Parts: sequence; structure tokens; C-alpha cells
Amino acid sequence: MAGRSFRMYGKKRGNRRTGSKALASVGEAVAFLFFLVLGTWFMVLLVRMPVLPEWRANHDFVETTGVVKSVKVGQPFDGNQTGYRAEVQIEYVADGQTRRHWTYDISFDTPWAYSSDRDGQQALTDRFELGKIYPCWFDPRNPDTVVVSRGYSGWLWSLLVLPASFILIGGGGLIYAVLQWGKSAERLAAQAQLADRLEQFDDSTAGAKDFPNVPRDANLTNSPGTRLKYRLPIITTYGWRLAAVTLLALVWNGIVVALMVMAVRRAIEGRTDVWLFVLIVPFLAGGLWLIYFLVRQVVIASGVGPTQLEVSDHPLFPGRHYDLLLSQAGRLTMKSLIVDLVCEEQATFRQGTDTRTHNCRVYQKRVFDRQEFDIPQGLAFQQQCRIEIPAEAMHSFRADHNEVQWKFVVRGEAGGWPPFERSFPIVVYPKPAGGRRL
Amino acid sequence: MTTIERNYSVGRPMREPLFSIVLDKLQRVYQPGEALRGEYQIDAIDPSDLRAVELSVLWYSEGKGEEDLAVHYFERLTAENDEPPTLHELHRFEVTLPNSPLSYEGVFIKIRWCVRLRVFLRQGKDFVSERDFQLGEVPFAQPVQP
Repeated sequence: MAGRSFRMYGKKRGNRRTGSKALASVGEAVAFLFFLVLGTWFMVLLVRMPVLPEWRANHDFVETTGVVKSVKVGQPFDGNQTGYRAEVQIEYVADGQTRRHWTYDISFDTPWAYSSDRDGQQALTDRFELGKIYPCWFDPRNPDTVVVSRGYSGWLWSLLVLPASFILIGGGGLIYAVLQWGKSAERLAAQAQLADRLEQFDDSTAGAKDFPNVPRDANLTNSPGTRLKYRLPIITTYGWRLAAVTLLALVWNGIVVALMVMAVRRAIEGRTDVWLFVLIVPFLAGGLWLIYFLVRQVVIASGVGPTQLEVSDHPLFPGRHYDLLLSQAGRLTMKSLIVDLVCEEQATFRQGTDTRTHNCRVYQKRVFDRQEFDIPQGLAFQQQCRIEIPAEAMHSFRADHNEVQWKFVVRGEAGGWPPFERSFPIVVYPKPAGGRRL
Repeated sequence: MTTIERNYSVGRPMREPLFSIVLDKLQRVYQPGEALRGEYQIDAIDPSDLRAVELSVLWYSEGKGEEDLAVHYFERLTAENDEPPTLHELHRFEVTLPNSPLSYEGVFIKIRWCVRLRVFLRQGKDFVSERDFQLGEVPFAQPVQP
């Protein structure tokens, strides 16, 4: 029996992660508590200071009328503050007593009553004429508090979103942490899986219910083939790369054009800036290279015709044979065209603040190889071959951080074109138990 | 079989319970869909000190990636209304094993199946013991150059 010491921090050591789970739970709870306390404090502050008085002014204050005695745009007495505010002196009767106060709205006595927009404040005071009667509202709890303008400050209410989100995150997280407290990893996993199973209750596919952690093949069998049963989808990151290069070329060349316009305009005005022209040269070179690279990528994408793979059945099982149809379109003089059956492990792990994914190929078998041949215009090259999934193969596997992927990898090299590689994922199921047919 | 004291107290020796997990197959190699039978018992502890016992049949990953874990079978027995205490006594279990994932000894990824017994004491400490077994017979993987 081995005792495990108490570790203050966690770190991935080879195959295991060190650290105290209890301490991690405490840390998590403290962090959420901090969010909750901060959000609550900010919320109370907002509600007590500006929000509640504004709400009361609009709902609780008693309406009456008063005579405007004086109007001005005031400035703060405190030298540290700057700004302007509308000030109206009004005389009104409350609780049988005549009162006279300087006021405007409910924020009159607060620092945020002042604005840097003097004209805006002047416009507010211009609405009031001396000696005329205007409606005003006083606080029944303190009749000396009076306003001549009511309404809601939109910015103030939208500010409530910030503490509300803190309370939501902190409170929710704290409840989650408390619910997890003292529960074993197995119990938590069992509870989480129960929810997953309920979600899969209506799922009639075999993979989801009968083969846990084997990826579903629904996306691989929804496209019928022309000669064989299914046409396999292609994995491609090419579209994203092309989009990224296009965006970069546009932004980069946009900056170059802006700089050139600036330089030419100055030259026309007789203020030629030689250093600006010198600065533009490397930018222009980079922009031209990006355009060349983009055009080349587009030509490669459209020049080398599409590759298609069809398979006689899916999912695949270890020890069984299947037909595979390779189809390569495009008018090409091929130096080589090969197809490999490949199995790769994919591990995802955290390194500092980064999440990294590493791949390791653990199986590779050439299932098709042809050298030096031509693909004529308008006629796709097609070749059917027989493949076997190794009898002792590990099945396809997918969990949150680890994956075993099977795929066909097509690699080609054509005259005048850079080499290309295209992958087609497949799902290999575990060998049927007891030789039963699935 | 490995036993790990999860909570560690300094300067106060803790009497550790003894675990016994026995599986019905000596080689501990099972096939998908097969029944895994076994029994467990907890000893060297005052039965009234036991608060709960959790039995899980699970797989977990080892290797380069973060750990994944999934529980195929979970059973929790608590000491509530357990008079006289019986948690320490011999308990038998039988679980039909799933079709996947199979035990796997890869390069970056290893998938291990085990029967895990976790014992919670009234003082708040918990102890874990595992008996590993193999599901399926997938051979070791070796890296190949692309």
C-alpha cells in the first residue's frame, strides 16, 4: 500500500498528471466564490446608488407642480471635478409647506450628473422659462428631494449586465463545485454518462449504443457511390488554408495600396516623402508574393482534379475484405498515384496554457500503387482494388483527449504540379464477438 | 492489485483497510460481451468505520494525452441503515462487458480496463484499490514512418 503525498500544483509527468484533486476543487470553489462576491458587491453598489433612486423617482415620487425661479448650467464646486450640469431652481408645495430647491433629475447630487457636453446641458435648461409653472416630483419620504425631469438612463441599466454575469458565473460555478464536492471521479463519470445515455436513447444507430467510444459512421455512409456502395467523404483543410491566404493577401495589399495613395498624394502636392517610398518597397514585394502564392494555390486546387474513393461496405471490420474504387479526374501526366490504409493515434494534451495535439502512425499498408501514366481530358482514371483490414487491428476509438483514426491516404504526383495528399476517414469496428454478423 | 491512500495526513498514522478483489479468470482476459464475475471483501478495519463502498468497472487512458475515463458499471453501497454493518463482507458482482473500447497498448494511447474499489471512511478519508483485466486481444502497436 502506497501513500500519496499532498501536492500543491499539478503537472503532467509522462503518462500521468500530478497534483491534489481536493486542492483543485477548493481552488475552483474559491475562484467561483470570488466571482460571486465581486458580482454581488458591484450589484448592491449599483442598485443602492443609481438604480434604486432612479426607479423610485419614476414610480414612488409624488407628482405636483412648481414655479421655476432660476435656471443655469452649473459647474462643480470641487476643483478636482470638471463638467457641466443643468440646474433648475423650483419652488413647490409639499406636505403643506412651500419649498425651494436646486435640482434637475435624480442624479443631480451625484458625480455622474456632470457632463463634458456644455451645449447639451444648456439645451436641457433652455426648456425651462423663469416664472412659469412646470410639473415636478418629490419624494414622499423626504419632500425636500425633488426632480423636474424623470426617465431611465439606458447605460445605467445595461451596466447591470456586468455584475449579473459575474453572479451567474460565480453562483453557477459554486453550485457545480459543491455538487461535485466529495464525489469520486468514477461517480462523477457515471453520472455524466447516464446523461449521455439518456440523450442516445432515441438513437437507433449501432455505434452510439452498442459500441461505446467508436465514432459513428453516419457521415460516411450518407453518400452512395457510382460503382460501390458508399462514396467516402474527404478530409480537407485546404479550403480553410485558401480562405486564410486570401484574407491575408487582401489585408496586406489593402495596407500597401493605402500607403501608395498617401505617398503619391504627397508627391503631387510637392511634398515628396522619399522614406515613405522606401518603406513601401518591401511591403509591395510581400504583397506581390502573396498574390502569386494565392494564385498558385487556386490553380493547384482547380488544376489537379478531384479524387474520389468508394468502398463496398461500411463500417469495416478486422479480418474482412472489401472492394475499394479509386477515381482521379483531371488532365494529368501522373508520375505516381498511391493509396495507403493508415491508422493513427491522436493525443491531445495541455502544455502550459496551450492545447496541443500529437499524431503517431501505428499502421500503414499500401493498397494501390501506380507509376507513370496519363489521365486524358474528360475521362477520370478509375481502378478497383481489394483491401483487407488486419485481423488484429485496433478499432476506431474516440474520447475527449485520445483518438484512434483509420483512413485511406491518397498521394499523387503529377508533372508540372506540386505533390498532393488527400485523406478519406473510415470507421473500423471491433471484431464481432463469437463470429456474429453485424 | 494496487491500493492508494488518496488523503494523506501528516503525523497521524492511519490504519489502512485491506482489499481483496478476485476475478473469476486467472489470466484476466475477457472478450466483448462476456460476463465478468468477481468478488470483493474489505478487511483489517472496524466495520463501523466504513461510510460507503463504490465498485466500478471502468476504462481509463494513459499516455501522452490527457486522461479519459468512462465507467461501464457503477455501484455504491452506503452504511445508512446498514445494521449490523455489512459493507466489509464478501460481495459478489457480475457485469456483462461492452463491445468497446478494447484494451489497447498503443504508442501515445493506452486503454486500460479495471475493477476499481473505493472505500470511504467515516473520518473522510478514502482508499482505492484496482484489479486490472484485459478486454479483447489487440496486439501492441508500434510506430511506423509515414
